[in-house]
Amino acid sequence: MRLLLWWAGRALSSAVTLLGISVLIFAALRLMPGGFAETILGPFATPEQKAELAARYGLDQSVLAQYGHWLAAVGTGDFGTSMISRQPVAAELAARLPVTARLTLLAVAAAVLAGVPLGVVTAVRARPGGGGGAGRLLSGLGVSVPEFALGSLVVFVVSRYGLQTTGYLLPAAVLSIFAISATARTTRDAVLGVLVEQHITAAVARGETPWFIVRHHILRNAAGPVLTLTATITAYLLGGALIVEYLFNLPGVGSYVVQAVGRRDYAVVQAGVLLAAAVFIVMNVLVDLLVGLVDPRLGRRA
Amino acid sequence: MRNRLACGVAAVLTATVTSACGGGTAAAPGTPGGADATGPPGYLALADGKLPAGGALTFAVHIDSGAATGLDPQLADVATSWQLMSLVYETLVTVGPDFAPKPALAESWETPDPKTYVFHLRKGVAFSNGREMTADDVVGSLKRLLAAKSVWRGQLGPVEKVAKVDAGTVKVTLARPYTPFLAALANVPAAVLPMKEIAAGSLDPAKEMLGTGPFKVQDHRQDVSWSFVRNEHYWDKGKPAADSLSVTIAPEEAARVAAVQNGSAALASLGNVDSAAMLAGAADVKVATQATTDFYYLMLNSRNPKFADPRVRQAVNMALDRKQIAEVALGGQGRPTGVTPAGLPGACDPAALPSATGGGAAKAKELLAQAGAAGLSFTLTIYATEPAPAVAQVIQQNLQQAGVTVRIEQMDEASWAGKVYGKAPAPFDSALSWFAGYADPGMVTTWWNPDVAGFNQGFMRADKDLNALIARAGETPAGPERDKALAEVCAKVDTDSQMVPLVTRPATIAYRADAVSPSLYATEGYGNLLRLVADARVKRG
Repeated sequence: MRLLLWWAGRALSSAVTLLGISVLIFAALRLMPGGFAETILGPFATPEQKAELAARYGLDQSVLAQYGHWLAAVGTGDFGTSMISRQPVAAELAARLPVTARLTLLAVAAAVLAGVPLGVVTAVRARPGGGGGAGRLLSGLGVSVPEFALGSLVVFVVSRYGLQTTGYLLPAAVLSIFAISATARTTRDAVLGVLVEQHITAAVARGETPWFIVRHHILRNAAGPVLTLTATITAYLLGGALIVEYLFNLPGVGSYVVQAVGRRDYAVVQAGVLLAAAVFIVMNVLVDLLVGLVDPRLGRRA
Repeated sequence: MRNRLACGVAAVLTATVTSACGGGTAAAPGTPGGADATGPPGYLALADGKLPAGGALTFAVHIDSGAATGLDPQLADVATSWQLMSLVYETLVTVGPDFAPKPALAESWETPDPKTYVFHLRKGVAFSNGREMTADDVVGSLKRLLAAKSVWRGQLGPVEKVAKVDAGTVKVTLARPYTPFLAALANVPAAVLPMKEIAAGSLDPAKEMLGTGPFKVQDHRQDVSWSFVRNEHYWDKGKPAADSLSVTIAPEEAARVAAVQNGSAALASLGNVDSAAMLAGAADVKVATQATTDFYYLMLNSRNPKFADPRVRQAVNMALDRKQIAEVALGGQGRPTGVTPAGLPGACDPAALPSATGGGAAKAKELLAQAGAAGLSFTLTIYATEPAPAVAQVIQQNLQQAGVTVRIEQMDEASWAGKVYGKAPAPFDSALSWFAGYADPGMVTTWWNPDVAGFNQGFMRADKDLNALIARAGETPAGPERDKALAEVCAKVDTDSQMVPLVTRPATIAYRADAVSPSLYATEGYGNLLRLVADARVKRG
């Protein structure tokens, strides 16, 4: 019963958050300088043309009425029509999501498969001369290098040698540098936090081997922050990896939404932001669940 | 982005910067030429006709055709849209490398008097659905354009009547002589549409393109790609030389540079003056700079008290160093210009304008003092797309010499458009943009009449004398008399200094010499890098 209540509360708070975000983005878009008519129709447009466009997309109604209609439509899965392509926003998002999802999957997989072991190793070898310093330096570099700098360099150098920059491996590699480094640093800190606990000292005293200790006593205890970070990176990337999409010319969600902001293509921006927010909320719920399973103490606290 | 006003303005708006409405002119001495390009006079490059036809062409461009008006060519007001539409649609006449009108869907024409044009239609022209083009299509298209709320309707001039004479002849009557008529007829918005299909409702030209041009659309995904294939019914046998043309939309310049470096695109449009340097040394890549008739201009808002006094505007104009703008901000590829785009036959000499001979920064200071505006300080509102910030910085430094302080305010294009065009009176001091220059020196001057242009009424006051001069230059037949009339327009615009012409705006294209042998004019009037793409030969093996 308690669990059911917990879930109901969680669902309610998610819905309220989404609703709040929808209000914010709706208002923010309409408060932005530069109206859709000047942007989409250009300065030559006559007042009649502007009025016609506004009427076609319901933009001649009060903002409140527009919001009401939009919300009602979203409830039925209709995210509206792009003023530029005249195509349903949902269809275009559905076409672009797989691109973004593939990029995200590859980058996050790299982050977990490379970042977690790196983090554990640098933590275990944190003593002076153990090599942990080099790992810290590398991961520090990885989180500091701006994506656009690394991406531009990769695109330019690779193409200069006649090699293709199409496909997902290169852009995912560029994205994963930050993800791997951030995961390694978080893992290291979490593991270091566990290492000083008494049960580790006890395990060492019992003569257990270091790797047995890592597997059985450290990883589960250190999993919380790492899972949370992984979920955050996943949700962030699913919202669109703008710079990498542009540099590698991949038609993902990020470039779609940002281009729409520039054109004041309201329906596209609203749908894109709502989608990104929903992904964040779902990822958060999932990670809470997962953390609870891996470390039941944290689950009870939740 | 943009980038269109008539095209210039629009270009800005839509997105990208490189797309505006172009204008062009024949290559004049001193016209910027491409780093590696070679070609006969008037051309940057000429396709090698000895190469076998066939093969697939690939082109990377920064922006898609994207407007609320869809794919209707009559409503298109940006050069990037014209460029894509020109693959499918054709006009009665077109322009040659010297900007002279050339036959296209009209095989020939006569002008029995300056107000009458009789077009003899080419025989054997069919739309890509196989239906033969008729005089009814031509008449219907022109009538539809005249009735449309289109920017181009204004450029077409005082058309009074369009009539079918017989199955192969169409007559257009003007209310008064209008010299740029053929030049205006040569641009995509004046294309011949399949009026029978449109009338029957089987074709919505806003959603689908169906024309007589060398290519037809196979597939389009907005902001991602276009796929064109040869129109089997094309009248000019042997063209297009290539079987297909794929266009990739790549907004990021680095992605287009990469595409041409690794050969995934045979041709790519470039927007940054530094990209040529980035491509230097890349194997088999050639970079060509095409001069255009497009030009940057500075708006001094005369409805703002700071610029209400003409002497203040003249002082600002006088303090500008156009050569320096062209050299520093445009990598030496632009040219100083008056309101008649430099490079077009009959354009005025910018070096002879009052602002150029007036005495520079020292005289500007004097004028400001006389106007009680010593120590003037104002904001210059620009959009972020290069090279606008670079142009603005040179202006800022120029004006510093005259004791004027300029604060540069940089915005995204939509916000910029909102501030500049959104309200009347417009809430800005000064702003920077560019116009397409088109193919006749009188066409763009139309926008200096705010009653006709409309978009600039928020920051520009109409001047009766200037309007009369513009109208006279439009009516005077080409020749020394018209050149003189155009020079008067130039001088008047320069003295008025509400919209101040600065420098022309070059277009850059990169291509793989091992993959394609293209034809390119040295100067372009309508911003169309793909104007001669039907001639381009694909190199294979």
